Amino acid sequence: MPRFDELLRCTPAAGLTRRVLLKRATAGVAGLAAFGLFAACRGAQEEAPSPTPAAPAAAASPTPTRPPAIVTTPAVVTPTPAPEGKYGGEMIVTGHHEIASLHPDDAGPTVHWVIVTQIHNGMIELDENYQLELVLAESYDVAEDGLTYTFKLRDGVKFHDGEIFDSNDVKYTFEWYMNPDNAAVNAALFRNIDRVEAPDERTVIIHMKQPDAPFLVRAATTFILPEHHHGKVGKEGYASNPIGTGAFKLKEWRAAEFTTVEAFDEHFRGRPYLDRFTEKIVPEASVRAIMLETGEADSAVWPLVAEDNLRFAKDPNYTVFRTSSVAVNHFPLNNEHPILSDKAVRQAMMHAIDRQKVIDDIFRGTAVLATANLSPALEQWYEPNVKQYPYDPERAKQMLEEAGWVDTDGDGIREKDGVKLSFTCTTITGDQARRPEAEVVQQYFKAVGIDMQLAEAPVATITEKLRAGQMDASLFNWTYGGGGGDPDASATLRSNAVNNFSHYKNPRMDELLDNGIKEVDPQKRKEIYSEVQKLVAEDVPFLYMMFWDWFNIFTKRIKGLPESALAGSQLYRKAYQWWIEE
Amino acid sequence: MFQYIVRRLLQGLIVIFLVTLATFGLMHLAPGSPVDIMIGEAEVSQQVIDAITKKWGLDRPWYEQYLVWLGNMLRGDFGQSMVRTGVPVSQMLLEAAPVTLKLNLYAFAVALVVAIPAGVLAAVRRYSLFDYSSMVGATLGVALPNFWIGLMLIIIFAQKLRWLPSGGSGSWQHYILPVAVLATEQMAVLARLTRGATIEVLHQDFVTTARAKGLSEVTVIFRHVVRNALLPVITIIGYRLAFILSGTIVVETVFAWPGLGRLFILSIDRLDYQVVQAIVFLLTILVVIGNLLTDLVYAYIDPRIRIQ
Amino acid sequence: MAEVPRSAVATERISGLSGLERERRSEFSRAWRRFKRYRPGLVGLAFIGILVVFALVPGLFAPYDPIAQDTAMRGAPPSWAHPLGFDHVGRDILSRIIWGSRIAMLVGLGATAIAVTIGVMIGATAGFFGGWVDSILSRFVDTLMAFPTLVLLIVLAAIIGPSLVTVIVVIGTTTWASYARVVRADVLSLREREFVLAARASGAGQARVILRHILPNAMGPVIVLATLGIGGIIILESALSFLGLGVQPPTPSWGAMISDGRAFIRHYPQIAIAPGVAITLTVLAFNLFGDGLRDALDPRQRE
Repeated sequence: MPRFDELLRCTPAAGLTRRVLLKRATAGVAGLAAFGLFAACRGAQEEAPSPTPAAPAAAASPTPTRPPAIVTTPAVVTPTPAPEGKYGGEMIVTGHHEIASLHPDDAGPTVHWVIVTQIHNGMIELDENYQLELVLAESYDVAEDGLTYTFKLRDGVKFHDGEIFDSNDVKYTFEWYMNPDNAAVNAALFRNIDRVEAPDERTVIIHMKQPDAPFLVRAATTFILPEHHHGKVGKEGYASNPIGTGAFKLKEWRAAEFTTVEAFDEHFRGRPYLDRFTEKIVPEASVRAIMLETGEADSAVWPLVAEDNLRFAKDPNYTVFRTSSVAVNHFPLNNEHPILSDKAVRQAMMHAIDRQKVIDDIFRGTAVLATANLSPALEQWYEPNVKQYPYDPERAKQMLEEAGWVDTDGDGIREKDGVKLSFTCTTITGDQARRPEAEVVQQYFKAVGIDMQLAEAPVATITEKLRAGQMDASLFNWTYGGGGGDPDASATLRSNAVNNFSHYKNPRMDELLDNGIKEVDPQKRKEIYSEVQKLVAEDVPFLYMMFWDWFNIFTKRIKGLPESALAGSQLYRKAYQWWIEE
Repeated sequence: MFQYIVRRLLQGLIVIFLVTLATFGLMHLAPGSPVDIMIGEAEVSQQVIDAITKKWGLDRPWYEQYLVWLGNMLRGDFGQSMVRTGVPVSQMLLEAAPVTLKLNLYAFAVALVVAIPAGVLAAVRRYSLFDYSSMVGATLGVALPNFWIGLMLIIIFAQKLRWLPSGGSGSWQHYILPVAVLATEQMAVLARLTRGATIEVLHQDFVTTARAKGLSEVTVIFRHVVRNALLPVITIIGYRLAFILSGTIVVETVFAWPGLGRLFILSIDRLDYQVVQAIVFLLTILVVIGNLLTDLVYAYIDPRIRIQ
Repeated sequence: MAEVPRSAVATERISGLSGLERERRSEFSRAWRRFKRYRPGLVGLAFIGILVVFALVPGLFAPYDPIAQDTAMRGAPPSWAHPLGFDHVGRDILSRIIWGSRIAMLVGLGATAIAVTIGVMIGATAGFFGGWVDSILSRFVDTLMAFPTLVLLIVLAAIIGPSLVTVIVVIGTTTWASYARVVRADVLSLREREFVLAARASGAGQARVILRHILPNAMGPVIVLATLGIGGIIILESALSFLGLGVQPPTPSWGAMISDGRAFIRHYPQIAIAPGVAITLTVLAFNLFGDGLRDALDPRQRE
């Protein structure tokens, strides 16, 4: 029952809160102009080391990254020294499914990433506001043509086993991902790299085959593996015995029970305040909420039900970060299905659902309405002027009739050419957040003569069958552009994409997406992605419902938390600055 | 006798072979693959999917994979979990099994202490108020869905009263709620069994004889009745060994205990073939041995049952 | 198991047809008298009666449509108009509980019927023919019986895909072993009895001997077992639903309702409490009724 609550969402993500806006106003940080351009061109779909997560639910949630809106240059911040805190104590957080692996290549699911990020460092890393931060690199430089990146590495950094970190570790890490024999899950992030050089101990030069705008945010943030250890034990051996440069080192890993990391005294940024950081695995959402309430846990890595989130948000005894996801909550529809291939049917479905009421009643207002594939939180890319689908059941009925769908036998379900307007929507087994949503939509459809049957299946079955075109419809959250703040959606909307779950095929869309990746002028790019959104709203390849809010809740005894955050799950990267004060 | 045991063991091997073969086949027939779980939401190309599939040998026909599994199995190698990247299955089992065993042992001890005396007393004082109330209590114990009662206990003792932790393991307090839930059911089953067995013994001739000899009622009960009544009870307990797993699946989930039950259902959900396979294999062995022992004990207790 | 002959058995041979009728009727009234002595059994029977009525015509009793939603009422607490409150998508819980009795009965009786049919056939075959047939079937029964049903159910339901029919069929085809065992034991002892030997000697076919002479005499324990089994099956169904492998929405099923309510147990406890109570009472009723039946029908425990 892993399944119990793979609830809430897949991708947490960036959002805007008042605190965030404040922060943004003051975040005047120098960026590197030359290459800011690239970075802005294609933000990271997901953050590199933790690419993304997993499937709709199952498990995973990615840690998305998004550069602040409007910014075209990734700012680089140097880690601020933590204010004076107190040493000692153990912080306990809860996750909802087991930590299957501690290898950075498997760190997609938030529950994994929260621990992996304590153990490892990248040359640069993305912080909770999507700013790039120098970590193992002291500085970096990118050639004018965007084909060469040079990193200067920090001196005196030690791995947990006492070995000194140097450029060979970086070279080893990149080459490990690039080698197809290793079957790295995130291999695709490294596909544009030609070769990696380590001319001296403190320098790494990366040569690209072609310019790759998201390289910095996605690949350069990869957590560095120790050559002397990983080279010996390989991925499988490393997964249970990671040795990084992070502020905490592994103490005990009990995949399904808890994982504890403890302070690494020789960490290059200084010993963290906390003695230990533990993630406990608690599948029941209600039990996770109780643990927060009773003080058995200090934070919940995975969101609770809407009512709990809102209650903690109001409670002065908790610090709550509310961010907005860029993953759209949607019903993928098989566009090759005899019924669902009819655009009029898909558009009518949009009119048939009172989406705002679903948000207000079922999600207690903790989501924003979707108008196409991109979240309104992505201010610089969001296009509001698209075809709208207000709740209008009469309109939906009329559209269906015009398309030839009429209820001739009086059973309440429309037919056309002897085929019933009926299909099956398969939700994730035990998905407590989305199954009710599907049940509500089922009734909205029934009211206009559409019969949507419900079924349940494990995540692996759903993604595989959708990819194979063997499933009518499903319901989960997924990023269709917007991960890392970049609007590129080639991985999901392009006709040949592995994750084009709706089997949507539109040559114009393919053309737009291809142009969008190459285009470096932000203004022209914006036009391209505006058209993408208009096309999505016109074609309705899937029923886009809403973007969820993501809550990260901390008890008040945890001090040193950031002022604000755009990416909730990214917060846990900062645990080395936190301390406990009762 | 020896020949009989050997024959039964051989039959057991066939059962194990068939059960594991069926599980393996069914798992592979089910749509989906662990690769989907492994890649999650990563932006992958078909090449990456193919590389992972090949690396784990999933591109080969399932019966071939079964033979590979069987071969490794015979060499004592349970294989590696695909989802929990590369961790040996044996290690996962060794971590999970003690959790489940501990929970069940404590629950069983509690159940035994309460249920046996209650069952005997109910049988001796049949149709008394005690008999009625304890049997209705036992019936209620069987009737309560264990996951439901688990949730209720958490709400009462962890959230409202805050006397006990809501989930996880660690201190002795962590044991109380899950043990209570498990014990409720076992207690109920045991008490009913004991009562039934005791009643049966009470009707036997030797009890009448013992009474006729003028032995006190207490002596009759303890010397003759209880001793004889417990044998079938114990046999049935042994026989239900394999049920430990199903009993704890939901309890382990509700209370976040990382035992075998949860590992099993998680692995089915994620199609982690090697792990499911290993658990089913061990379970089947338990079943086969349990069956054999039961028959042997029966034969020992009741010589009328000839072993054919 | 029961090796003592039913009293009906003894009478059957000597009585004529009308005598047999009379015997049976008095046998029934004697059983009823014994059954009545166990008060809890009567209470159970009464409760089952109510449930059956609910299950047959839920529309007469349910105040509202069990599927109609008013999402604005999500989790609203009990009130006079809605005595059990609303669930997480704004449906009337009382109406869903009443309609849910239909699913509970369908699953409980349907799965039991399948299990009894399979179990009796296999048990009778094994017991009657003996030899290697018995040996193979018995091993099979032993294995199935010792194999945790829930585990089997989970594997099968996960693979076939959950639905009402899957639940009934899967539970039915995995829980028949105990019936087979009981019937086998009975048949084994019955087939050597004189009246069976007599029937055979007079040229009755094997099928006739089994169906006419042996099975009717082995049904007592089966009925008791089946009654006691229904409760277990209702719990199994709810456990399957709890694990997400049960009856699919929007069909109101008690197990699925508990599963729905789990996440909201802190805020809207009524969603999970009401169906939990319904399941408990129903299982309790069947078990008490079964206990009463056993006292009435199982001669070993008769005083």
